[in-house]
Amino acid sequence: MLKIKGLKAGVEDNNILKGIDLQVNKGEIHAIMGPNGSGKSTLSSVIAGKEEYEVEGGSIEFDGTSIMDLSPEERAHLGIFLSFQYPVEIPGVSVSNFIKTSINETRKAKGLEPMPAGELLKLMREKMELLDIKKGFLSRSLNQGFSGGEKKRNEIFQLATLAPKLAILDETDSGLDIDALKIVANGINKLRTPENATIVITHYQRLLDYIVPDFVHVLYNGRIVKSGTKELAFELEAKGYDWIIKEVEEQCI
Amino acid sequence: MTEEDKILKEVTGAEYKYGFTTDIESDKIPKGLSEDVVRLISAKKNEPEWLLERRLKAFEVWKKMDEPDWANVSYKKPDYQDIIYYAAPKQKKKLESLDDLDPEMRKTFEKLGISLNEQKRLAGVAVDFVMDSVSVATSFKDKLLELGIIFCSISDAVIEYPDLVKKYLGSVVPTGDNFFSALNSAVFTDGSFCYIPKGVRCPMELSTYFRINEAGTGQFERTLLVADQGSYVSYLEGCTAPMRDENQLHAAVVELIALDDAEIKYSTVQNWYPGNEEGIGGVFNFVTKRGICHDRAKISWTQVETGSAVTWKYPSCILKGDDSVGEFYSVAVTNNLQQADTGTKMIHIGKNSKSTIISKGICAGKSEGSYRGLVKIMKSAENARNFSQCDSLLMGDKCGSHTFPYIEVKNKSAKVEHEATTSKIGEDQIFYCNQRGIGTEEAIALIVNGYCKDVLNQLPMEFAVEAQKLLAISLEGSVG
Amino acid sequence: MHLKEKLISAFDQSLDQLSFQQRRKESMERLKQDGFPTIRNEEWKYTNLQPLLKKEFELQASISSITLEEINEYILKDTDTYLMVFLNGVFQPNLSSISCQKAHISTIKNANEEQQKIIEKYWGSCLPKKGDAFVSANNGLAQEGAFVYLPKSVVLDKPLQIVYATKNDNALFTQTRSLVVVEENAQVQITERHQNFSDSEVFTNAVTEIVVKQNAIVDFYKIQNDNFKCSIVDNTWVNQANNCNCTVDTFSFGGKMVRNNLTFSMLGEHSESNMRGITLIGKDQLVDHHTLVDHLVPNCLSNELYKGIYDHNAKGVFNGKVMVHPDAQKTNAFQSNNNLLLTDDASIDTKPQLEIYADDVACSHGCTIGQLDDEALFYLRARGIPKKEAQAMLMYAFANDVLNNIKIEELKKKLNLIIAEKIGVELAIEL
Repeated sequence: MLKIKGLKAGVEDNNILKGIDLQVNKGEIHAIMGPNGSGKSTLSSVIAGKEEYEVEGGSIEFDGTSIMDLSPEERAHLGIFLSFQYPVEIPGVSVSNFIKTSINETRKAKGLEPMPAGELLKLMREKMELLDIKKGFLSRSLNQGFSGGEKKRNEIFQLATLAPKLAILDETDSGLDIDALKIVANGINKLRTPENATIVITHYQRLLDYIVPDFVHVLYNGRIVKSGTKELAFELEAKGYDWIIKEVEEQCI
Repeated sequence: MTEEDKILKEVTGAEYKYGFTTDIESDKIPKGLSEDVVRLISAKKNEPEWLLERRLKAFEVWKKMDEPDWANVSYKKPDYQDIIYYAAPKQKKKLESLDDLDPEMRKTFEKLGISLNEQKRLAGVAVDFVMDSVSVATSFKDKLLELGIIFCSISDAVIEYPDLVKKYLGSVVPTGDNFFSALNSAVFTDGSFCYIPKGVRCPMELSTYFRINEAGTGQFERTLLVADQGSYVSYLEGCTAPMRDENQLHAAVVELIALDDAEIKYSTVQNWYPGNEEGIGGVFNFVTKRGICHDRAKISWTQVETGSAVTWKYPSCILKGDDSVGEFYSVAVTNNLQQADTGTKMIHIGKNSKSTIISKGICAGKSEGSYRGLVKIMKSAENARNFSQCDSLLMGDKCGSHTFPYIEVKNKSAKVEHEATTSKIGEDQIFYCNQRGIGTEEAIALIVNGYCKDVLNQLPMEFAVEAQKLLAISLEGSVG
Repeated sequence: MHLKEKLISAFDQSLDQLSFQQRRKESMERLKQDGFPTIRNEEWKYTNLQPLLKKEFELQASISSITLEEINEYILKDTDTYLMVFLNGVFQPNLSSISCQKAHISTIKNANEEQQKIIEKYWGSCLPKKGDAFVSANNGLAQEGAFVYLPKSVVLDKPLQIVYATKNDNALFTQTRSLVVVEENAQVQITERHQNFSDSEVFTNAVTEIVVKQNAIVDFYKIQNDNFKCSIVDNTWVNQANNCNCTVDTFSFGGKMVRNNLTFSMLGEHSESNMRGITLIGKDQLVDHHTLVDHLVPNCLSNELYKGIYDHNAKGVFNGKVMVHPDAQKTNAFQSNNNLLLTDDASIDTKPQLEIYADDVACSHGCTIGQLDDEALFYLRARGIPKKEAQAMLMYAFANDVLNNIKIEELKKKLNLIIAEKIGVELAIEL
């Protein structure tokens, strides 16, 4: 589904990603871990097409075609969803209206008619139930005055209603207490199908107790320095990142 | 052109939709202003002597006044001798019903999107239509009269209800209040009059549609609304004008009187021709609007200002009565070379009087938008409350946004809060929308809509639709 | 004679003895043409000067001596400082201590030849080409005042106190003129007060120019606690280069009519301006703050916080203007003005203005007029504090938080005491 080869990217003169290779097939869950500043959030932003990052080399293919020249919304229309680490507040725009616009713009891009209001409402209600979201949530202004947990839950709610092919969860666990974390993880697991894929970006192993990854990658200094299965995550939790860093540095010498 | 500019072009109607003229024979008098012209206007309207006297007095006062220059706008002052002060579409006879309308005029209505029949059927809105100087059609008159509600042109009211008009006309905006109101008092030609009797809740929205058609004319309409004790009325006003290269002057006066326990909701969607991209042409919109609230009365002004080359407008409330309430909700969009200096005055005199001001400015192109407001708490206004929020959204770096709030407090129990912010649409907001599949244009429209929501929510449904169309924004909240 | 005529005739008589003759002439011409402002002038809408301007003022004082004992009450004593004392505009070397190795502290007249060049360069440099009547009058006739020069990288080792004292048998109009130039990386802290030592009326027109260069830090504290015979128009103009930080705090407790015109021009990027004020006034007093922050370049920050408490028939005016020019992208400007009215005879007129021509900015202003928080009042009373004391305590808290950033401890303590005394709060703990 997603094929990244030799991806190099940065901001202005600052190289952040220094050659990333990653392949994600449908049905898989990948976890990308790494210490702060290793380039995790940059990677997710570059996949989603954030324009302030300059791509200096490499390629990103989605379903067999390059998405390098596509705008963020075109990538979204293809089915790439990014759950933001810091979701943005938009005063006066309700959650429901935002989702409605999002769904209908994506349908428009595919040449479909807008979704009938009744159907849309049904879809939202269904997903609200799934994620244990209270009534009244839909009419609140998007992310305005939301607690950290509410913002993250709102991201997952959008993920549920938009049903993308590839979901990238950027530090979705940060700012969540254990109950909220369970609900969010539970939602993600329920949304899993053999047809979609998920990339979980996280600093801690905690979230991976609830979302079990098929593959774990360690990102350090702009490169994936180690890949493995979920056992690697446990090892990282137990031993920290230092041993990998040491290993990498020894290899360099 | 950037994405933002494009959407702004749409939002502010760069292609002015209402720029047609109606080919109707009109009865107009020669250019210029003199005592004779004032007499002529009065004679044409068969006015009683007292009104002529008031007009002449106003003309004397006006001659001694200077055009104000304190507003943050610059324009070439009109030559007041080069304006036609009276122009009326020629009608063979007085209309018995709207079906007798001149076919050309009927077309005008349709182009403006106010098919009178349809309005009648669907929305139940009573419409008064003022073209150039005179009121040409008022619908639903009879039905309203059954409830004792008077809704007619002010010319008719002068003849038919002289006592009411004599009592209230000029009682809120005195003749010498300002340069433009004095001019209006001397030469006003028509406008709407409305009286809601005691305890009556007007069952439908009352609406006036103003249209400047004839070239070289000024429009000086006068609106007087009296809500008697315990009554309620919602009143809407819309304005358009043809595209012309010269500037046209619009100097209206609106007076609202809300007696004890009455409530008036007054909404305006102002879309006069704003001039072209180079700033040529467009309407000078110099309007005096003011209401007085008696005990427990409420006046709520809502305005969506997108048109006019220059706007000078401060709908105000004199909160004379105890427990009276004044509200002002405004969206003002300026683009290209438009200039808008608008805001409100809330004068608190009565005890426990409350006022709310929500002003949202959006500036694009090389335009200048100013909020100018006064909150005055007099010594007598025990326990007065005011909350003001004035926000500006800037699009592009060639426009200017200004905030001039005046707050004067002379009573210790007053609570006044004023907040203002100036910002632009955040790139992170746009990216967030993009990531959810919403294109940049649509994202800006969405964000602007959200930004204006507090004001748009105040508009009656019929007008909200029009206003949102004007902002090129789809209606929010149909789901959930 | 009206003050304007008096000043013009005084100027004509003394022109020969003055420095900067050309500049002075131009300014006096402007005063002749424009005259002093009336309430029809938008900037003076709420403050009527006419009664004051019609009074007979002497321009020359007859008393020329003052003692240290008299001054003592009005200066910081526990802090080691430099001290400059002026009486009726004349420097008092015997009461002052200005001997300083690294920096230059003197008066404009007494500066040595080398320093005169600096004065020549900066005198009037912060002022607008067309100043108002007070700037013009000061430009025309003011001669003496503090001159403080901090060369590159000099951090003044102790604060400088400036006292402009007045003492006269008859009503006196006096003008002071100060110039502070702080070069790259230098730092200075200055306190300033105008104080009358007689029963006769005094009307002061002060102009202070502060030039802040790259990376410099300036803290300027104005203590306005003069007696009720005194009026002042205090004009302070600050020019800031890049990466520097300048604070001007104004504490207004005394005086009959106090008008502060404070202008910051942000000429270099990444600089920060702070202005704070406490106004605490009562019977027959008027304090009028006019501030302007002129953001001419990108990436600067300005912070403004003014609080006022008005008792009896006191009148407060606040007019804060933030101007962001077309190039000044990424400007952050915050302004806040909070007021308490204690009686129905007191009044406040406030006008916080934003004028913005750049789109990528974050600017806000907030303004409140209100009463003490009922919840807080209830909380204190529930803890057994009587209503009156509870109110005083809350008022004290309302004003006091502006003091937090003062860098001179003794000054902070002194101001705290003045506020506590004025409000009637007993400070149980030694501050």
